Amino acid sequence: MNLATLAPRLKTPAVIVALLAIWQAAVVLLKVPEFILPSPLSALEHLFLPQPDANYNWGVHIRATLLEIGIAFVVTSVVGIAIAIGLAWSDAVRRLSMPLFVFVNSLPIIAIAPIILLWSGYGLATNILIAFLVSFFPVVINTLAGLSAIDDDLLDLVNYLHATKMQVFVKLRIPNSLPYIFTGLKICSTMCVVGAIVGEFIASDKGLGYIIINSQYTMDSPPIYAGLMLVSLFGVSLFALVGLAERILMPWARKGVEA
Amino acid sequence: MKRAARVAKAVLPKLLYAVALIALWHGAIVAFGVKEFVVPSPLAVFEALFSPAKAAQYAWSTHILTTLGEILVSFVFTAVFGFALSVLICWSSIARSIAMPIIAVLNSLPKIALAPLFLIWLGYGFAANVTIAILVAFFPVVLNTTTGLDAVDEDLLDLVRYLHASKLQVFLKIRIPMSLPYVLSGLKISATLSVVGAIVGEFVASSEGLGFLIKDSQAMMNTPPMFASLILISAIGLGLFASIAVVERVFMPWNRAAEAGSAR
Repeated sequence: MNLATLAPRLKTPAVIVALLAIWQAAVVLLKVPEFILPSPLSALEHLFLPQPDANYNWGVHIRATLLEIGIAFVVTSVVGIAIAIGLAWSDAVRRLSMPLFVFVNSLPIIAIAPIILLWSGYGLATNILIAFLVSFFPVVINTLAGLSAIDDDLLDLVNYLHATKMQVFVKLRIPNSLPYIFTGLKICSTMCVVGAIVGEFIASDKGLGYIIINSQYTMDSPPIYAGLMLVSLFGVSLFALVGLAERILMPWARKGVEA
Repeated sequence: MKRAARVAKAVLPKLLYAVALIALWHGAIVAFGVKEFVVPSPLAVFEALFSPAKAAQYAWSTHILTTLGEILVSFVFTAVFGFALSVLICWSSIARSIAMPIIAVLNSLPKIALAPLFLIWLGYGFAANVTIAILVAFFPVVLNTTTGLDAVDEDLLDLVRYLHASKLQVFLKIRIPMSLPYVLSGLKISATLSVVGAIVGEFVASSEGLGFLIKDSQAMMNTPPMFASLILISAIGLGLFASIAVVERVFMPWNRAAEAGSAR
């Protein structure tokens, strides 16, 4: 890997570092009060120094949020892709269900979070369910779109060769839908984080969303920023993991567009 | 007359579908004896919305106006400034090299998590919720519009260059018209997102609005206004979505056949 191929990849980290540096400099130079905007260093300090205040047991909160995001992402991907394949099995069912999914996806699904809370109470399961509901539809829609976006000539060819429906799916439709599935999973990776955090805002006694909202009540701003940095890190890492899986599973598409 | 028939043909199945769903909902409640604090019947929801006593109790008009105001202000801001920023990015390579990396980074963050910050900065209420909604809805418009402004046929650009078109003419006559499908699909995404942003803002911090009503009623296990608010929120979202579709038909008559749907 030479410098020319490395340079574009370093752009995003460089921008992040530059933004953090500007933020630090602005806070120090303009003497911004900490409750309005703490410097990034004081936020990070809060994360790493042993806390006098046992309220911020970061390990517990990080674990809770990671668990929610992880479970929600895996369940949503598996269930979403499986349901999409099931629906696409019959052309008629796919054509009937696609508009319904697109319709539901255009609704602000997150608004039902308090109802989920009412049904399943505080805690991990509620937040996972909220994250699932928010991220489920993009996966199904993208997978369905991928399964049906297939060259008719290819279908004609394999029909002529007496391929079974199973073979058409396993060898043609599913591989062909991979780019769409990965686009769906990338959206899902962001939405899972959003769902889990909003769930924690509304109902939780654990997790980074809980820390953020709880510190807001007490105007204790460094933990808010530390929480935000961690949440962003999780979101970006999950996104990057999906990107990595995409590169490994679709080596032929390396030159494809980045979403 | 023909037009009316066509509209009826398009609307009627959806209407029937909705009626069937409501009937199914009511049937399930009656058949399984579901308690109202779990799921209310459609009748209870209807009553919460339309009976004068309940309507006064829940102050629907205040909450609807607040939420609608937040959504509209944030959506219009997003549309206007998002479009302007995209044109600037496409116009000047300096603006592009400064803005694009920052936008790409910000776009990948879970921006809704920033909601509590705006509370600290702006306090409870309208301004904080509008800001949250803008933050959530802004970047898809910019990214889509920039993509659209860039996605111009090179041959066309060569042609107008040969004809000594000014940069302004290139933008007004080629880039902007050609970017419209992208702009509108960006606006559709941001229509939903600005509703999401406003509602989450109201969840986190508000004493008014449909999001507040949902959260407030949840605390009292009072489900009919929760479901009624959900229906209203969905209606607002769909209304916004539909008005963009109308704009699409008016501004891009050449595109009527091709439904520019985005999977997002």
